[in-house]
Amino acid sequence: MTGLKSILSRSQSVVTRKTGNEYVLVPITNNIADMNSVYTLNETGAFIWELIDGKRNVEEIITELTTDYDIDIKSAEEDVFLFIENMSKYLIIN
Amino acid sequence: MRKYNLNIAGYNIGFESSTNGPELIPSERFLRNIVADSRSDILIRIHSGVPDLPEQAKRVFHAPYVEEINDIQINHKIDFWSIWKHHSDLYIKTIFPLKSTDKKGILKFSLTKREWDLWVDGTDEKIDPLEYPLDGLILYYLTVIYGDIMIHASGVNNAGHGYLFSGISGKGKTTMAKLWEDFRAKVIHDDRLILRTTGNSYKMFNTPVYANDKPCESPLNKIFIIEHGLTNKLVPVRGAEAVSLVMANCIQHNWNSDILARLLGSVSIMCSSIPTVRLSFKPNRNIIDHILENE
Repeated sequence: MTGLKSILSRSQSVVTRKTGNEYVLVPITNNIADMNSVYTLNETGAFIWELIDGKRNVEEIITELTTDYDIDIKSAEEDVFLFIENMSKYLIIN
Repeated sequence: MRKYNLNIAGYNIGFESSTNGPELIPSERFLRNIVADSRSDILIRIHSGVPDLPEQAKRVFHAPYVEEINDIQINHKIDFWSIWKHHSDLYIKTIFPLKSTDKKGILKFSLTKREWDLWVDGTDEKIDPLEYPLDGLILYYLTVIYGDIMIHASGVNNAGHGYLFSGISGKGKTTMAKLWEDFRAKVIHDDRLILRTTGNSYKMFNTPVYANDKPCESPLNKIFIIEHGLTNKLVPVRGAEAVSLVMANCIQHNWNSDILARLLGSVSIMCSSIPTVRLSFKPNRNIIDHILENE
C-alpha cells in the first residue's frame, strides 16, 4: 500500500523518452504478443515521473506539485495517487 | 548458386554457402533484388544441419505462430521463432512454417559483427536463406544496427509526394494502397516498409513480400495513422502523441532497453520533421481528394 511516506523509484522495465514537456513510455517485454503497448505522460504526469527518483517520498512530490502548478493540496494528492495507481506496473515502492 | 548479394531497402546482404553447405536458391520475390555489387553490409554464411545452442544461452524473446486468414488471427500451439543470447552473440531459432514445421534453422548474429552464420536442416536440398520468417527477422535486425525503422504500413508516391499509411491489421493499409493505385499513384508497398533517413529527409522502401514485388522507394513527406470511419477526418498530431502512435505500429523486439531506446529515438526524430496525422476514412475515392485538398 502506498502512503504519504512511501518512497518510489522508477522501474527499469520501461524505456522512456521526453518529447517537449511530455514523455513516451515503452515497456520492455520478452514476448511479441505483449508488444506495441506505448504510453504517453502529459505535462503533469511527466512532472510527477521526474520527481519519482528513489529519494523523495509521496508527500514531498505532492508538495512540489502544489508549488509548481499552483493547485490545492487535495487536487495534487488526487493527481499523484491516481498517477501511482495507473503507473504501478512501472514503479517500485521502496 | 554458392554465393550472391541482395540489395533490399539499401542494405547489401551477401549470402555465401560454406564449403559443405547447401546450394542457395533465392525465392522468386528476391530475384529482382540480386545485385552484382559484392560489398556486403552483412555477410551471411550458410551451413547444412542445425547445431545445438550453447548450454548457457538464454531465451530473451519469443513469438507464437499466428496465422492470419481474412483478418482472423489463428494461434497455433507450436514454437515458432525465438531470440537467444549468449555473451554478445545472439541466436534466432526458428521453424519454417510455409515449408515444413519440422525444418529448423538457427541464425547466429551480433549487433556489432558484420559476418553472421545460418544453419538450416536438410543437407541435400536447395535453400533460400531468407525463407519466412528469416526474411523479416534479418531485415528487422539490420534496421536495429543502422538506427532505421520497420513499420506496419502501406506507402504510396503521388506526383513526387510520399504518403505513409500505418495501422495494425484491419485498419485499412491495403485498402488505402489500392485506392491510390486506382488513382495512378505508385504503390511502394501495401503492408510493410523500412524507413531510412538521409540527413534531412526520409525515404520509405519496400521489402520483398509478394512474388511480383519490385524494389521500390520514395521520399516520405507525411505519415497517416489510419482507421476506418464513418466520415473522412484528418487530425494533425504532434509531440509525444505522434511518437506513441507511430511507435505502436513499428515492428519491435522489446527485450533489450538499448534496442528499444534507439528505436524510440529514431521515431522521435522522424516525427519532429515529418508531419503526422490521425486519419479516419471511408474507403472510396473521396478520401484521396480530401487528403490532397488538405496539403
